[in-house]
Amino acid sequence: MPLSTQSQGDAEQYVLVASLDNARNLSNILKAITFKDHAIFSATPNGLKVTVEDSKCLQANAFIQSEIFQEYTIKEDSVGFQVNLTVLLDCLNIFGGSTAPGVSTALRMCYKGYGYPLTLFLEEGGVVTVCKINTEEPEEPVDFEFCSTNVTNKVILQSESLKEAFSELDMTSEVLQITMSPSQPYFRLSTFGNSGNAHYDYPKDSDMMELFKCTKTQTNRYKMSLLKPSTKALALSCKVSVRTDSRGFLSLQYLVRNDDGQICFVEYYCCPDEEVAED
Amino acid sequence: MNCVLEGNAVKAFGKAIHSLSRIGDELCLDPMSKGLALRSVNSAHSAYACFLFSPMFFQKYNLGPEQGSETVQCKLLMKSILPLFRCLATVERCQIQINTPNDRVKIQFFCRHGITKTHDLCFEESEALQAAFASHLCPNVLKAPARVLGEMVMHFPVSQEEITLSITPLRVSLRNYFEGRNDHMKIMYTEMSLHPDEFDYFQIGVESNITFCLKELRGLLSFAESHCLPVSVHFGAAGKPVCFSVEDMILEATVVLSTLIDSESPSQPAETLTVAPRTPTRCADVVPESPGEAATVPAGMELVASSQGSPIEDPALLLLLHHLSEPHYQERANSTPASSICSLLFRAKSPESGEGLPVLACCSDEEEAEEEDVMMMRSPTL
Repeated sequence: MPLSTQSQGDAEQYVLVASLDNARNLSNILKAITFKDHAIFSATPNGLKVTVEDSKCLQANAFIQSEIFQEYTIKEDSVGFQVNLTVLLDCLNIFGGSTAPGVSTALRMCYKGYGYPLTLFLEEGGVVTVCKINTEEPEEPVDFEFCSTNVTNKVILQSESLKEAFSELDMTSEVLQITMSPSQPYFRLSTFGNSGNAHYDYPKDSDMMELFKCTKTQTNRYKMSLLKPSTKALALSCKVSVRTDSRGFLSLQYLVRNDDGQICFVEYYCCPDEEVAED
Repeated sequence: MNCVLEGNAVKAFGKAIHSLSRIGDELCLDPMSKGLALRSVNSAHSAYACFLFSPMFFQKYNLGPEQGSETVQCKLLMKSILPLFRCLATVERCQIQINTPNDRVKIQFFCRHGITKTHDLCFEESEALQAAFASHLCPNVLKAPARVLGEMVMHFPVSQEEITLSITPLRVSLRNYFEGRNDHMKIMYTEMSLHPDEFDYFQIGVESNITFCLKELRGLLSFAESHCLPVSVHFGAAGKPVCFSVEDMILEATVVLSTLIDSESPSQPAETLTVAPRTPTRCADVVPESPGEAATVPAGMELVASSQGSPIEDPALLLLLHHLSEPHYQERANSTPASSICSLLFRAKSPESGEGLPVLACCSDEEEAEEEDVMMMRSPTL
């Protein structure tokens, strides 16, 4: 593979080198969080985390473990930078994003450190493209302080059942209301639009419900405009976990299988729109 | 009203709503003792469609306490209700309830895996509009499997607005219709003909060429094809409305379309557009059907002017009619007929309580209309 014929001397300068035989294993998951131009990359020996935020109220994270990469070398405990995600995706798809079986773009992503651009070596069918994307000082991602000990309600659903609901959501509603309760209606999504209200109810004994752990009745509203981008992650996923904590903060975690069947995660954190009195 | 539909019926119901969405922007739900009617009218009042589902179509069909007095007709925005019936793959049952006190229609879908979707839609109470159409008086009647008509219209591009149906004793043909265009070189003319033997029923009373809007018909044809129902066509001379209908044991569907008037026969006056809201009047009190006559208008009825100059009540509709008969429509180089849209006649339903069968079509003979239960959708006997 042409990419591996790079001089060894070059390799010594990079603090991070990550290679994939199929660039789609990275680009597909990044598409699930592309609702803003800029993304914060944070690499550790465990893998790559990409964060996108919106107005400090919404945060999306994509996790690609080091095992997913064919080559993953990191010389520091933590490497961070910020790039334009749209540009990065354009580069990853530079060969046109063909979905023909057996044809894929190989990727070697290299970073020399602070002040250097992110270098992408992309190869398909013997043609190599080199892209250098300017990096920026990484912003500190918001810490939503969402910890499992504070979780009041948690459900895990098969994504199939939620996909239909999310595709039908009344977009004239400003908010999406999520009700979770140990009693009826158990798990309910509600919208309040121009033509009327809609409720989607998922009972706790539904065979789409893989886990149901609700300790108290909670109703929270979230801005529809903030949650709408999560539909992309939902579309890619096979399972989703929905958790709320005592403050009403929402955590959505999506289990995504890539082209090779390997598991990656995408999570969304969202602040509640307003306090709704808990029953 | 409270009704429940099971799986396949929900899909048929959704398909009916989809067909009606091709006609107008609003859907009128009209629960009656003989069934639930879904109606839509286009803004120009030149196309009307009605799907009537008999009580047998439903798993459960109950009219509420409003039965006997004024039943509630709900007008909903098509864009509010159409999306609800888009993804029906997992739907096992659907319940529709009309709650008069809070002006809401509740549509609940009970889906696989125990999932329930509930929609509370606001509606406007409205008077039902119905097209008065005496199909039994039509000189020309055709009946063919939906597939036959579907295959005929398939040859016209989706963008084709209007087509002309011609009937002679020897053949029935369909061709595309273009209004006074100068770019003859760019238009592809398509015409296809069928021999009378191709039809299950063929009756010709008068040779005619009628031009109507194809787009508005496609919804019904697709519904008929999916249910493998034969389509009946009732029509007469150019200018008179054409009625397409399908029916089976549990449902009836009708589309009534106005046809272009032949401008080369000035003796044929434009028909008066009568938009008749439901009033507690008997059919006999309603405006006489013969066109051009000075109409005595009972209270609560609107009369919109025809190009013949009858009194105007609705300026917006008048503007539309005037626009349609503007000079550029009449001064054309080619010989294709028609200069203005002929509109339908609408008639109030007579809401006799307990009778349950409102008159859907009024004939010119008023006494006949009172006695006969004229159903617009009745197919001719073979």
